[in-house]
Amino acid sequence: MDMIEQPSITDRRKWLKPSILAGLVVIIALMPVIQGSPYILHIFILTFIYIIAAVSLRTITISGQFPLAHGAFMGIGAYVAGMASKWLGWPPWFTIPSAAIVTAGIGMLISYPFSRLRALYYAMGSLFFGIGVIYMVYAGGIWTGGYSGLTGIGSMFGSSKVAYYYFFLGLTMVCLLALHRFEFSRIGINLKAIAQSHLVASSVGINEGWYRILAVSVGCFFAGLAGAGYAHYNTVLSPATFNFMGTLWLVMYVLLGGIESFAGPIIGTSILVLLPEFARDLKVYSPFLSAVLLLIVVFLMPKGLVSLPYLIRAWYTERKKGKKITHVSGN
Amino acid sequence: MFLETKGLTKKFGGLTAVNQFDMYVNKGEILGLIGPNGAGKTTLFNLITGVIRLTKGQIIFDGKDITGKKPHQVAGLGIGRTFQLNPLFANFTVLQNVSASFHLHPRSSLLDIYFNTKTYRRNEAYILEQSLEILRLVGLDKVEDEMAKNLPHGYQKMLGIARALAIKPKLLLLDEPIAGMNPDEIEFTMTGIEKTKQRGTTIVVVEHNMRIMDLCDRVVVINFGHKIAEGLPKEVRENKEVIRAYFGDEHVA
Repeated sequence: MDMIEQPSITDRRKWLKPSILAGLVVIIALMPVIQGSPYILHIFILTFIYIIAAVSLRTITISGQFPLAHGAFMGIGAYVAGMASKWLGWPPWFTIPSAAIVTAGIGMLISYPFSRLRALYYAMGSLFFGIGVIYMVYAGGIWTGGYSGLTGIGSMFGSSKVAYYYFFLGLTMVCLLALHRFEFSRIGINLKAIAQSHLVASSVGINEGWYRILAVSVGCFFAGLAGAGYAHYNTVLSPATFNFMGTLWLVMYVLLGGIESFAGPIIGTSILVLLPEFARDLKVYSPFLSAVLLLIVVFLMPKGLVSLPYLIRAWYTERKKGKKITHVSGN
Repeated sequence: MFLETKGLTKKFGGLTAVNQFDMYVNKGEILGLIGPNGAGKTTLFNLITGVIRLTKGQIIFDGKDITGKKPHQVAGLGIGRTFQLNPLFANFTVLQNVSASFHLHPRSSLLDIYFNTKTYRRNEAYILEQSLEILRLVGLDKVEDEMAKNLPHGYQKMLGIARALAIKPKLLLLDEPIAGMNPDEIEFTMTGIEKTKQRGTTIVVVEHNMRIMDLCDRVVVINFGHKIAEGLPKEVRENKEVIRAYFGDEHVA
């Protein structure tokens, strides 16, 4: 009887993760009610947008490629949507998906020649592509707004932050579900197989080049989506947002949270975007502090912040064991 | 003839690794491809499977010209292979290594996979069942949940063969399957190769270790990219050219 009524420790552990997750979802869903300040909502909206971009960057990396142009792809989505809205008068409901498709298409075109490059060469190739994109924006004159930026992009919900908040919350959820399915299906298995050994993968019939292009296209689709959403939220675009620094921030979000886990970039983005807002005096130093944080994480937990609970548990059991041993030897 | 190479030539800069190499494999046999270090055996495999491009020549498999095809296309036609240095999906478990290799049969469409349709789930269930059967066949079913990188050397080699079997090959190219194994593992692997042959797979095996000759129906000896002998294992063992290639002139009786 007792055994049935008392839930064991393992049972409680099993429920711990889902209940924390559910709690977080409730808090996030009720955020505008709890803390309705437009500024806080603004920060959360940016977090949502960057979560989409960072998770989509990680989706490309599971195929063993490490592109250094993801900020630029976000920029392509943003500028395509912004220009379509400003010059063609297209509504956001149309520009956002089409910008994502255009970005995926450009990603596909670029990755075709790049699919022959590996490791460092791939990173270098994509890096220069990203820089090239920014210079094209600069050279675009009145069409892209050049150095002074693109203004006059149609907004989605006027000045209501709450509407934007729920829109981006929903969009992020949908994107995360879509990318999660992508990774944890046979498609993701094939990508991971290619990353581990392209020789073996192709020897069992996996078309390496094709799958690498697919990963880049999907990653770029969601980067473009995030960028396009950003364009219609901010209604003003500056090329500096999407330059190499922009890419590096995305890389940092991924690395800080943990590149090997799906939750990694979500955690990394949340911390690096939200944290500076809670210590606003230090905000000027945020690049330095972020770098220090990243270095600490990279050295102490190479698998990112997601591995923290496991490391703590391992350390705790180790310590318990250590105590027992000293006790025995003390006798 | 099941597989045939005609005038196969590969030059790396000034070095001719494989020179005017003619070879054929009959359906259902085990052909041994032996030769000293650096003779060009692995290069030959890489040429057949399209990992490297050939300089000249032609490869015909099952009546089709497969010259210049890419590795995944060659695999798609039914040529499976293992590797000498035996790369693995190191961070997959043993079972995942094999199930990930079931890319071709049965093949689900991208949409089926993405939307987790009935077809996809049925295929995956079939793949799981087949993978377990292959693991039982090669004797790795007890370590199916172990990470591939944690396996001992002999097991890793067997896993390489298991993975190649997952594509249901008509022709299996084994690159030094028993190199670096202890006698028990050699015995075990050779039995496994024999069993695979009995299931109707044609096999070409590259090896240094002369013990492999016990399995072979025919042997081709290669040195410096040339074919120097060909025939039954017994004939080849007594061939003067072969003895010279392995032991030098003074050993030729």
